[in-house]
Amino acid sequence: MKNTLKNVFHSPRFLVGFIIFMVILLTVLIYPYFVTRDPLLSLGKGFLAPGTYLSVYDANNAPTYRMELPEAAINRLESAIPTEDRQVMLDFLKVKGADVSGVSTANDSLDDLLALWKANYDEADVKASKYQGFSTQAQRNKLRRLNTSILASEQASAMSLSKGEGDAVAVSDTDYIKVNEVANAVSLPLGTDNFGRDTLTELVKATGVSLIIGLIAGTVATLLGLVVGLLAGYVGGIVDDILMFIANLFTVIPGFVLLILIYYSVGQAARGITTCALVIGFTSWVWTARSVRSQVISLRNRDHVNLSKLSGHSLFRIVLTDILPYIASYVVMAFILQVSSGILAEAQLSLLGLGPKTTDVPTLGLMMNWAKLFGAYTSSNAWWAYFPVIGVIALISFSLNLMNTGLDQVFNPALRD
Amino acid sequence: MKKLLALVLALSLALSLVAVAGAEAPTDLPRNETMYFGGQQWGPAVGYNPLSSNMNNSMALASAPRGSRTIMFETLYMYNMLDGKLYPLLADGDYVWNDDLTEMTIAIKPAAKWNDGTPVTAEDVAATWDAAVAVKNGTYTGYNAYIASVEAVDGKVVIKAQLTEDGKPTNPLQFYNFLSATYIAQKAWLDTLLARNNNDAAAVLNDPANDVAYSGPYGPYVMNDQLVAFVRNDAYWGQDASMWGKLPVPKYIAHAIYADNDAALVAFKAGQIDVNQQFVANIQNLWEVEGLPIATYMDEAPYGICATMPTAWFNMEVPALQVKEVRKAIAMAVDYDQIIENAMTNQSPSFVQVPRSVMNPTDGEQAMYDHDAVKDLQFAGKDIEGAKALLDAAGIVDTDGDGYRELNGEKIALNACCPNGWTDWQAAMEIVAAAGQNIGLDITTNYPEWSIYQTVFTKASQTEYDIFMYSPAGAEPAAPWSRVRSFMSSDFLGVDNNWSGNFGHYKNDRIDEIIKTIPLTSDEAELKALYTEATQIYLDEVPSFSLMYRPEQFHAVNETVWTGYPEKDDGNNIPPSDCTDGYGIAALYNVSLVGE
Repeated sequence: MKNTLKNVFHSPRFLVGFIIFMVILLTVLIYPYFVTRDPLLSLGKGFLAPGTYLSVYDANNAPTYRMELPEAAINRLESAIPTEDRQVMLDFLKVKGADVSGVSTANDSLDDLLALWKANYDEADVKASKYQGFSTQAQRNKLRRLNTSILASEQASAMSLSKGEGDAVAVSDTDYIKVNEVANAVSLPLGTDNFGRDTLTELVKATGVSLIIGLIAGTVATLLGLVVGLLAGYVGGIVDDILMFIANLFTVIPGFVLLILIYYSVGQAARGITTCALVIGFTSWVWTARSVRSQVISLRNRDHVNLSKLSGHSLFRIVLTDILPYIASYVVMAFILQVSSGILAEAQLSLLGLGPKTTDVPTLGLMMNWAKLFGAYTSSNAWWAYFPVIGVIALISFSLNLMNTGLDQVFNPALRD
Repeated sequence: MKKLLALVLALSLALSLVAVAGAEAPTDLPRNETMYFGGQQWGPAVGYNPLSSNMNNSMALASAPRGSRTIMFETLYMYNMLDGKLYPLLADGDYVWNDDLTEMTIAIKPAAKWNDGTPVTAEDVAATWDAAVAVKNGTYTGYNAYIASVEAVDGKVVIKAQLTEDGKPTNPLQFYNFLSATYIAQKAWLDTLLARNNNDAAAVLNDPANDVAYSGPYGPYVMNDQLVAFVRNDAYWGQDASMWGKLPVPKYIAHAIYADNDAALVAFKAGQIDVNQQFVANIQNLWEVEGLPIATYMDEAPYGICATMPTAWFNMEVPALQVKEVRKAIAMAVDYDQIIENAMTNQSPSFVQVPRSVMNPTDGEQAMYDHDAVKDLQFAGKDIEGAKALLDAAGIVDTDGDGYRELNGEKIALNACCPNGWTDWQAAMEIVAAAGQNIGLDITTNYPEWSIYQTVFTKASQTEYDIFMYSPAGAEPAAPWSRVRSFMSSDFLGVDNNWSGNFGHYKNDRIDEIIKTIPLTSDEAELKALYTEATQIYLDEVPSFSLMYRPEQFHAVNETVWTGYPEKDDGNNIPPSDCTDGYGIAALYNVSLVGE
């Protein structure tokens, strides 16, 4: 046993897979101790991009520090009116026929550009005149938004903020605050999903749930396959015929279709994670059963089995002590693959909208489903809502498959170095 | 020999593949003469039969009171949801009522012609109604209770009302819906159709009608499993000065058939769709973040004209919901802003911007009730303390300390239901459930499949769903009367398979009286008083509460090829109804190529 384990851990593939898997598992176990927030708590409005969010209210009340950044003024201008916007302004002024000589998109020319813009831009005129390149609604809207943001940035710089009770104090452009001194700052490394939930916290919880689903599904499928395979292979005859008939039935009906039909018919109210796992387990035992059976058939006429038979050992004992140990390594490998495919099956089912209740528990598939429904990769551009989920699913099945091939290398004589 | 055989087989396989590919290649339409639509046609179309509702040809046949799609077949009038008025299309000028509202007379435009050059006549209109009666199609079932006959008298159309026992018309308002919804078909063609199907109703309704006569500006061009397209009839009668005075600008109208919403959205972003009827979450990202040449009717939220109000209905058979205070407390506690932000991604005005009433947010309807008179009754939501106080005052309190209030010693536990997969509604129901938890009512969500849901909430009596969602009547010529009726009328009590309204089975005698009086009232001040009273009753009694405003049709345009679409305050008064529906078709005469 000790030697086997040593061999197993000497396989680089197994080791890499094992490490990745353990990292995921440990994250799932430890993370909730650091972030105690309910993973399904809706924090804000819809998709928010990853980043740290500071409360404006509290930032206003945080202590300020004086700092003189040489590039501060340039950053400010660039942020208020980015270079590409200035290019649009310039293009418009040219089309409109204004004298743009000496005006460019450079920072030192911005004041001239703004003055020229204010003298020339008029919403009604743009709408009526249909200037070349600015005739469509989308193009005119772009100009109007630009104009609005220019006016807003000017107002902001002239604004004086109220600090504390009553006294209005002009905020200086050299005032800085320290992020961790703001009473309310939320760090969202993966932003929020369509319900405004913290994606990272949800992802960690969902990974845990998906692992449980995979584990239950894998156990059920492996146990079922093992029992059927052992019985069919060892007992043979009519038992074999009947069991293999059932297994063949399951083989010809596409497993995933069967899975969808069963899952659909149980109804959403019953779709907890356990049901999900059980249904997946019950529809994916066939191949394990078939391979176990063929291995058992090759084993059942071996000398030591015959010897046990002659000694009058019971069927149960022969199977358990004379046959099972020879196929144990195979069963472990099959189990690992079943776990991996169980996790994938859950993701597929939930992506189709057949997952557990959204408000009960997050799963990887459900997260993908909602991301898809709210256009995370079409209109909303919220890569953070689905890409990390795909990454985690890929990592889990990658690590499990690595472990499987690693074990194969160790146990399969044909592959052994 | 074997090699030769293999070669022959391989060659024939390759050839057949090429042949298949050739047959399926979409017809090449010149891009700058074609306007592509999206989000309307799903799955291949079957035919062009204007009597039938099973042609699945939504570009040619989309009949609805809110504005029928008139690119191929035309209606007598076009509805404009912006001002709530009917504009004549085949009809010449306004309709004329007789004094007791039992007969309506409509003249037909002398210029109106079928595509075969024969004039559209009053006989055609009468024949259309007679055919509807003969085959009992949707037009017949929809208006049979209100329209007794349609006749051609002295070259004019005379529509006679069904009368009640005391000689009054059953409902003159439904006439307007009929005028804007019903496609007029040619008498000669209808005769052929009925004759070749031996007057068998089912056969008539399944006839694909490839030989149909049409009066609209576009005729059939391509129909296969990838595309439906229509080509302009350059002899279209509407270029006469009595109608549009010109031809619609695009030569072709086309709609590619996409597998699903996502595929259509990708095509829309790529400029392969010009006018798109799809809910796009966070649509402003398409121009603000991605910089695509895409625009909606308005540049800022809510981006479109919201004309319908998805509503949560209270089941009046549930004892706890028979208590007015419970209903009102739930409605007051719901965070509508969160529903509008998360479920609708702000594509709806909030209940602060458009305070709740029985009206949709269009200006026409908003002007029809006295805002000040109902101010005290309106609620904007998230009023947890107010809701709690209301329940406390009604004596509905938590007596056993489990955190939930009891009514007559029984814990108030309710479910909030909507169909599974209707994402924005599901998100809304989650927020309703959360509101209940906040005020000590145990509300939980339940999402049955649509196939089950639709059979339950339309029953004459059910106790499975306590709070459940569906939409009342939207924008149509008979609105807002039709909405008041669908909110509260007892017409729908005891009716099985009820798709029309009052799904919670609320009963109020005064409201029934108002619903009967409005269609027969023409004095505007009197109407306003009636609508104000209806709003007061609705807001006081809360038999249901709207969760958001929502467009009847989403309307977004990609200005890669075409521009000049309707936009707010452009002075054209063209509604954003996808450039094809009701008065929205006027947009087709206004568009131009980008850069022209």
